[in-house]
Amino acid sequence: MGLDRRTFIKFAAGAGAGVMITPIPWKLLDDAAIWTQNWPWIPALEDGENTFVSAFSKTDPSIVPIQVRKVNGRPVRVLPVPGHPLGGGVSALSAAEVQMLYSPARLKRPLLRGEDGKLREISWPQASNVLLDEFRKAGENVAFITGDVNGSIVEIISAFAATLGSCAVYPMPSDAQDAAVAAALAGLKARIGYDLENSDHVLALGADILESWGTVIRNRRIFRDARPHSFRKAGEETEAGAASLFLAYAGPLQRNTAAVADLRLPVYPGTESALALGIAHLLIAAGRTCGAVDFDEFKSFVAAFTPEKTTELTGVDAAKLQREVELLLTAQRPLVIVGSEFGSGAGAAPVLAGLAVNALLGNLNKPGGLSLLPKDVPLLDAALPRDVILGNNPVRFLADPKKPALLLIHEANPAYALPDPAKVREAIRAVPFSVAFNSFMDETAALCSLVIPADMGLERLDDVETPYGSGSLSYCVSSPAAKAGTGVLNAAGVLLQTARRLGKALDIAAYEDLLKSKAEIYGASSFEELTAGAPVQCGDKVAAGDFSLRTDIQRQAHAAAPGGEGRLRLAPYVRMSLGTAETGIPPYNNKTLRADELDGSLMSVTLNRATAAKHKVKAGDKVALQAGGKTITAKVRIHEGIMNDTAAVCLGFGHSEFDEFSKNKGGNVMELLSPLPEPGTGLDVWNRTGVDIKKA
Amino acid sequence: MSAKKEFSVKWGMAVDLDKCTGCGACMVACQAENNLAPQADASNKLRVMNWLVVFELSNKKSFPDHETAYLPRPCQQCAEQPCATVCPVVATERNEEGGIVSQIYPRCIGCRYCMAACPYHARYFNWFDPVWPKGMEKALTPDVSTRPRGVVEKCSFCHHRFMKAKDAVRAKGGEVYIRGVDNKMHCAVPEDGYITSCAEACPNGAIVFGDLNNPDHRVHKLVTGNADAFRLLERLGTDTAVYYISRREWVRRLGDNYLPDEQTQKPGQILPRKH
Repeated sequence: MGLDRRTFIKFAAGAGAGVMITPIPWKLLDDAAIWTQNWPWIPALEDGENTFVSAFSKTDPSIVPIQVRKVNGRPVRVLPVPGHPLGGGVSALSAAEVQMLYSPARLKRPLLRGEDGKLREISWPQASNVLLDEFRKAGENVAFITGDVNGSIVEIISAFAATLGSCAVYPMPSDAQDAAVAAALAGLKARIGYDLENSDHVLALGADILESWGTVIRNRRIFRDARPHSFRKAGEETEAGAASLFLAYAGPLQRNTAAVADLRLPVYPGTESALALGIAHLLIAAGRTCGAVDFDEFKSFVAAFTPEKTTELTGVDAAKLQREVELLLTAQRPLVIVGSEFGSGAGAAPVLAGLAVNALLGNLNKPGGLSLLPKDVPLLDAALPRDVILGNNPVRFLADPKKPALLLIHEANPAYALPDPAKVREAIRAVPFSVAFNSFMDETAALCSLVIPADMGLERLDDVETPYGSGSLSYCVSSPAAKAGTGVLNAAGVLLQTARRLGKALDIAAYEDLLKSKAEIYGASSFEELTAGAPVQCGDKVAAGDFSLRTDIQRQAHAAAPGGEGRLRLAPYVRMSLGTAETGIPPYNNKTLRADELDGSLMSVTLNRATAAKHKVKAGDKVALQAGGKTITAKVRIHEGIMNDTAAVCLGFGHSEFDEFSKNKGGNVMELLSPLPEPGTGLDVWNRTGVDIKKA
Repeated sequence: MSAKKEFSVKWGMAVDLDKCTGCGACMVACQAENNLAPQADASNKLRVMNWLVVFELSNKKSFPDHETAYLPRPCQQCAEQPCATVCPVVATERNEEGGIVSQIYPRCIGCRYCMAACPYHARYFNWFDPVWPKGMEKALTPDVSTRPRGVVEKCSFCHHRFMKAKDAVRAKGGEVYIRGVDNKMHCAVPEDGYITSCAEACPNGAIVFGDLNNPDHRVHKLVTGNADAFRLLERLGTDTAVYYISRREWVRRLGDNYLPDEQTQKPGQILPRKH
């Protein structure tokens, strides 16, 4: 039988019908769709038992209580702890902390700089011996810089330094440092706290309290709870459910806190102190006094800060200033918070001015006011109290031509985060032997003689004692949520071991013992409860006693403050989602940048339209920002929320180390900043920098 | 366009723009929860994969009268989806109780019609295979499959969390859907039993999540009869499940394409859909 045309057509039609009826082609198509998406290089998911570990994120300087979700023992997510007094959500930085455990910039083995100047991997026993030899050689000529002043590790460092005969322990600059120095200068036998929970009117001067100042997550939870969602019935003008907290913000930028504030007072960068003095003037004019020993002197000092003068100095709108003072005077529980717009460099004088305003408002140790909290008492005999350590100025220490024989830098990145980092780099290079104890390969580690890979907060037992900004004492202990890698070491363990090998063992055998002793002192019912995430809180306060407003210092600081007139005033700001100097930009976080904030490797500088026109630049122009002989390049972005004659630039760019998520993105704004001594306080300030802007 | 499906339960969101400070915690939490891969250069937004983006809004006034607000934008979970109607392979649809618009990756052929159709730009195409730095794949959650290049993806209202919440109800021997005293079907998952990752992360409480049809849920109370609540591009008739709240009129006006002299419309005044 031949295959004629008719048979062929019948066969083809039959085959077609058969194919349509059989599920085979559809199944094959379905399989093809699935398997063409199932490549071996696409990671497969691994399921398993879910467990949760209580911890806190110390990578975020505001300290974020978290729960770590683990699957089959692997940490996978950071979740909030709603009921925690410091908690209520997670920050953009802490939300990425689990992923940061696997960051490409993570240090995994100790590194020693060879004679050729290159860092090479060595084993921990080798590194331990090198460390021991160098400590023996250095004797008492050793110094320490630490980025963690919230935990007991600073006590271990201080006690270790003391056994070697050194008291050179320096914190990285912060608002906490400025406040500790201010409290000591004022003669307060206390540390400064802020009872935001009970306040009905908060005025933040400079301090970006909802992004980067103090206990940010706690601040935001308080803001959340005090302000119900707006609800308005159609046709009605007023809203039901009034907020129980009025928020006013004074600063040069309209970001974060300013964006949701009820009243915004635009001011020039770094003029919080003058604004606070202007407010004090109006409060005194309204009949307010305070019990400071130098009140009369202060009163005559602030007599010059009339609204007109305050406007001239700060750029504040006089009518808005008057209105804010009236609101402060009528509030039941007003609170004024003064801090740096970018977390450091403001000095102690603004905090003293803030103390004066709070004292005039009569809120010291009152509900919703400025709290005077007991100082911490170190348990280790030789250790210095935290407020004494906070009084040490790392900027001046590094600028001193006399260098220690050995400098150990613990979880800090001064080569990036301090003003004028080129000089800091020179200073670190000039130290005969420098040690970096870091989790990531940062700019400082890249300079040091020995690099020791540190465990991250999630990998260790750690504690936090009353972070700056808290309104009451608290003590929290964090359990390790992840197992540290084999080459990764714990700073406390290394220092305790080194002290023993040097024959100068500290009073404790293990870090855990110190934390347990502290838990007892704080009255924790059990250490297990603490590690399970239940913090201890204590309502103790210290009487203000005979305190001074240190008018002498405020007068000198005001006289020494550069005006910045004629130049563009630089307003650096912090975006916590871009990480810190110690973390770099976490891999999961650079997507939070908006398109107009970073264009490839070009960062933006933000000006308002009038300022841009004054300086003959326009949106999209590539410009050079110059100050102190340093230049960074940026692209002009116009935003009308920026104060006149002010250029806003984001910190966190310009890393030369870390990984591809941090490198080659913009410039480091700290390069443009130069520290200036703050008279009478021992600190330096770098929040009033003038810059030149030119088309690049 | 297919007939609009109505469900007894309609998961939805109310985002309070007067509380949002634009910190980005929701964006990072979303990425970590839904296994989005990091990208070294995230400045080219045409190539960046984000299920949730926080936009900066401006009242367009000059200093010092300028105001800023931040607007987090997930998939709006439209009841009348422009995306699903154009999908040639039914890779995206809204056919499950709860009203979440699905995205079925193995079905997606990457034609990107849905992206073109979505008026909210909430859909993203995988131009590249996802790559995690070595070891970081250990931090992937087991809940959301990783997607290869060539497929479109979008926010799912953390649908896997809904599945888990339903499982938790069933594990206790309960029924997932029960008839309420109003004779309507309600989901037995408690209000806090199912919450999206972004809402959970937000420290400001700016994102409220729940059943828009359940009078006991906060989200229902917040958007029902609230003249300060609005939806994005409401006049398109997409009937989205994401509401925004702001007492600031200029913010509400940015939610839609108002003519300069046009009065801001209140809920209920929105024009009926004509197409």
